[in-house]
Amino acid sequence: MPGPRELLAIPASRTTWRRYAYLVIGAALVAPYPTLAGFVAPALEGGFGAVAAWVVAIAVCCVALPIATGMLTAVRELEIAAARLLLGVEVGDAEMIHSEVSLSTRWRSAAWFVAHLVVGGVIGTLTVVLPPAVVSAFTAPFATGDVQLGQLDPTVPGGPGSAWIVPLALLSPVALVYLAAGASALLARLAPRLLGPSPAERLAAVQRHAMRLAERNRLARELHDSVGHALSIVTVQAGAAGRVLDSDPTFARRALTDIETSARNGLRDLDHVLGLLRDDAAARTPTPTLADLQRLLASTRSAGIHVAAELTGRVDDVPQAISSEAYRIVQESLTNAARHAGHVPVSLSLNVGAEHLEIELTNPLDASRPHRPGGGRGLNGIQERVMSLRGQVSAAPDAGQWRIAVRLPLHPKP
Amino acid sequence: MNLGVLLVDDEPLIRSGLRAIIDAEPDLTVLGEAEDGAAVTPMVRRLRPDVVLMDVRMPVVDGIEATRRLLANVDFPPRVLVLTTFENDDYVFDALRAGASGFLLKRARPDDVVRAIRLLAAGDSLLFPAAIRELAARHAPAQAPAGLDSAGLTDREAEILRLIAQGLSNAEIAAQLIVSHETVKTHVAHVLTKLDARDRTQAVIRAYHTGFITPQDG
Repeated sequence: MPGPRELLAIPASRTTWRRYAYLVIGAALVAPYPTLAGFVAPALEGGFGAVAAWVVAIAVCCVALPIATGMLTAVRELEIAAARLLLGVEVGDAEMIHSEVSLSTRWRSAAWFVAHLVVGGVIGTLTVVLPPAVVSAFTAPFATGDVQLGQLDPTVPGGPGSAWIVPLALLSPVALVYLAAGASALLARLAPRLLGPSPAERLAAVQRHAMRLAERNRLARELHDSVGHALSIVTVQAGAAGRVLDSDPTFARRALTDIETSARNGLRDLDHVLGLLRDDAAARTPTPTLADLQRLLASTRSAGIHVAAELTGRVDDVPQAISSEAYRIVQESLTNAARHAGHVPVSLSLNVGAEHLEIELTNPLDASRPHRPGGGRGLNGIQERVMSLRGQVSAAPDAGQWRIAVRLPLHPKP
Repeated sequence: MNLGVLLVDDEPLIRSGLRAIIDAEPDLTVLGEAEDGAAVTPMVRRLRPDVVLMDVRMPVVDGIEATRRLLANVDFPPRVLVLTTFENDDYVFDALRAGASGFLLKRARPDDVVRAIRLLAAGDSLLFPAAIRELAARHAPAQAPAGLDSAGLTDREAEILRLIAQGLSNAEIAAQLIVSHETVKTHVAHVLTKLDARDRTQAVIRAYHTGFITPQDG
């Protein structure tokens, strides 16, 4: 409960008036429904009789319609934005709210919408009715006949005997402000329960968040490993070249070339991973899937790499989680091919079968670049993804080609 | 005295760089190179190096397992100096637990590389005491100190073990305790025997691991 000091501060507080505005919006939203009932009822009177016609019109226009309105996603988003801005309540982070809206969540937003309309309607009506009533109340002590209080029904007899009404009239707007403050405080307390994410949505959001964190950690580890590896080579080779510059200039010259290559590889890895992180931040949802494969191929081709792709089967049939991992696998394979073999033609074949998804990527081996044992750090990422999906992966030279083949079960058993 | 070195790393460019650095020293010679931990034990038997520079992460047999095999299967094994890209690598501590005598960052300056090899071969003082303390702090045992009580160290020996952990050489310990160099050598030998440690690093790792010294003591 607020203390006396806080209670006194209510009419002067910015929050009070912002929340008051929220209630008045509710009043404005109410208006169409009874108006519509007013049009519908006479049209029904012929068929149902007057009473039944009004009951039906009110049930449809003033109950069913507001509930239906409240179930709309757009209305939900609007209410959340208004509640955040005017009521000053946070109902959960944006991602949870924009996730797919379940039926129970729709019911909760409908309940909120109706509550907003009812409370707003009451406060709005009082706001309109009270000022003329107050003004007429001031005239009562000086009047000779009965005075009607604005549009309200009870009348006050004129004359000095009615002087009691003046302080009451002065106090009533203040009372209204307190009433509005109280009602909106109740709404504010209710908002997280009705507008916030359901436990299931919260859980889904947390899971998505955890998955993204795991992915980021994996990328960070990859970056740490590959850049650390490149810089270690640079350091050792540069240190060695400095030592033997005079005694073994051949070694020093070769070391410079190796330093250049290693540094360039490190930078490329850095670029690649930072690019993935940036993509991740820019497009948090949705993650790309095999449906986006053509775009990936187009961007690879525009980078000057010739890709011949052969896709069979329906990629739409691949479950979402597998599809997005498969997309990443193709992406990393293409990056690896470009990194290790340069601008060589790459052929990609992707086949969606009944039980398995098969990806095969081949590119001619560059004879001038010996295969490095223990290398292929980009492969680790692919292997990790395949393992987590209980699939199989092989990567090896095959008849003058570097061939990476991945087979993922479409319905992995837990 | 000429010291023989064996290089073990899966990256040829790391090996060739280290070889150039080491071979440039008149007293150090690279006797051979291996690209995986599996080759270490037979090569050591054949080449009898004084120090093995061993990468931690290797594709088939990693540096930890290679160190373990080497110490278990070779009489009078060489000292193992573990090579690592990252200071805070958990594998490094595992390698020290497995019997490595010290570790060296791949980014170390050439001077530090050769100094580390000489220091390790001499066995007179602990390599990078602060870094070992930090590693030990991150792997601090949960249980109460008990393990070393049974080792039966005298108070003086325990004191010397603490000074070893701080990285002091025999000469420095002698100066600090105002005793002769010979006395310190005798004490150190007793400490190593009682702890069943083959060198100072192993003694210190055991002292940290059993909680006899806590990393905060340093």
